[in-house]
Amino acid sequence: MAESSVHPSEISRRNYRLVSSSRADPSVGGGIISVVEVNDLWKRFRIPHERRGTILHSFAVLLSLHGQRRYNFEEFWALKEINFSLQHRESLGIIGPNGSGKTTLLSVMAETLRPDKGEVKTYGTIAPLLGLGIGFHPELTVKENAEVYGVLMGLTRKEVKARTGAILEFAGLMKFQDSKLMHLSSGMQIRLAFSIAIERNADIFLVDEALAVGDMEFTEKCLTRFRQLKQEGKSIVFVSHALPTIQSFCEKTLYLLHGQVRAYGPSSESINKYLADIKEGSLITSQIVPT
Amino acid sequence: MTDLQRYYDIVVTLAKKDFKLRYRNSVLGFLWSLLNPLAYMVILTAVFGYLLRSNISNFPSYLLLALLVWRFFAVGTSSSLYSIVGNPSFITKVHLPRFLIVLSANVASLYGAILEFVALFPVLIFLGIRITFLALLLPVIIVMEFVLIFGVSLGLAALNTRYRDFNQLWDITLQLGFFLSPIVYDANLIPERYRFIYFLNPMTRLIDAARDIFLFGFPPFLTDYAVVVVASAILLLIGGGIFRSSERNFAEEL
Repeated sequence: MAESSVHPSEISRRNYRLVSSSRADPSVGGGIISVVEVNDLWKRFRIPHERRGTILHSFAVLLSLHGQRRYNFEEFWALKEINFSLQHRESLGIIGPNGSGKTTLLSVMAETLRPDKGEVKTYGTIAPLLGLGIGFHPELTVKENAEVYGVLMGLTRKEVKARTGAILEFAGLMKFQDSKLMHLSSGMQIRLAFSIAIERNADIFLVDEALAVGDMEFTEKCLTRFRQLKQEGKSIVFVSHALPTIQSFCEKTLYLLHGQVRAYGPSSESINKYLADIKEGSLITSQIVPT
Repeated sequence: MTDLQRYYDIVVTLAKKDFKLRYRNSVLGFLWSLLNPLAYMVILTAVFGYLLRSNISNFPSYLLLALLVWRFFAVGTSSSLYSIVGNPSFITKVHLPRFLIVLSANVASLYGAILEFVALFPVLIFLGIRITFLALLLPVIIVMEFVLIFGVSLGLAALNTRYRDFNQLWDITLQLGFFLSPIVYDANLIPERYRFIYFLNPMTRLIDAARDIFLFGFPPFLTDYAVVVVASAILLLIGGGIFRSSERNFAEEL
């Protein structure tokens, strides 16, 4: 499906400092090569007390004598002091309870959120499989949605058109190609989104909970596809609650708790730590999900 | 694939999607968008031409030309207001230059405006406009107006994320603009001392230019082009500035 060769222009122009020369064939040389380096990363969210700013409200605040400060918010550190690296051909699992910062971390790696401190260095192109199905519109047909989503995910229009058949085949939606998206079940819609996103030709894949969405047959198909990608020399980051899958698929696992690294190392060790924490019941206070 | 090609693909695809959705929901979708300027033309002709006895000759076509030019601006800017607020996932989940989202909303409006012009051309001809080689200047007018719309839209889309009632303010501004531009009256009615300011309005220049081409049969003045270009450049700078300074906070505001 996706070609394994990396077109020179596809290699990120963002950070050449470290490995740009060895990038051409990272497997040569024997050394360990990082494709992503996360150094002392911090991310803060501001939760405004006033949810929506309006012009009228700004005026009211200006006029009132005991006006509250215009920006009234609470700070909340979603990520604190995160350090890790992803190697070439490596799969990294990210686990942790809800609200521990997993998706935030992926978003910062995908550059949709800016870090407040620290940095993420990437060597190669990133395909974020975040927010599956963004831009999907129920009134458009499956094919039309595939085009919009494929282009948003980084494919060219030509590529999308050429691969639509393969995409629909993989998603098992061939016979629905001209029906409106709203006639598909939500599981089918996610399957469609996933099948498109995976067509992207990139060096690093960021996968958020994608394995939990389909039925078992589709999950198995996806895992096969990921194994194939790995053999083609791609690196993959998985965020998942499916611990057995992480254990079997990822060499290393990062266990996040309260936005901090609780464990980072071989998957079995990190997972055992997580399971031990659950047993102790020390995770109950971890629900700092903003409302 | 180069970045530029990716951006081009994104804009074309999103604009196409936007355009399809604007008209697909009803079979009459596109007809409605033609009916709107026609209805305005009839109403305004009745009020200003008949009741208030405007002495402008060929008043219906005089109106319709201006309405088409005005509608492109009004629809283009107001639909861009929601381009960011209405697509939060494009901001939070995809990594792409954010002005492209505004640009594709504008391109969708451009498609719409071109179709309206084409579809209503027979009506204009029926109403007695002159088709000369000057008609070739119409694309120039449309492109200039597009740049103007883009500059304004950048500012509007950004402000609307910060102040969610900004669209209300813009509605009022558009209504004001409708009467501050020579749509239902002739610009020569404006008292001498206000004229200098009045003619700084790029919409005045664009409307006059369209009338020069199709009604009066002479090419628009160079000063018309100059005012539009300078005003668009200034608005693009201001709008772009507002957009740049607030785009960093989009993800958190949405």
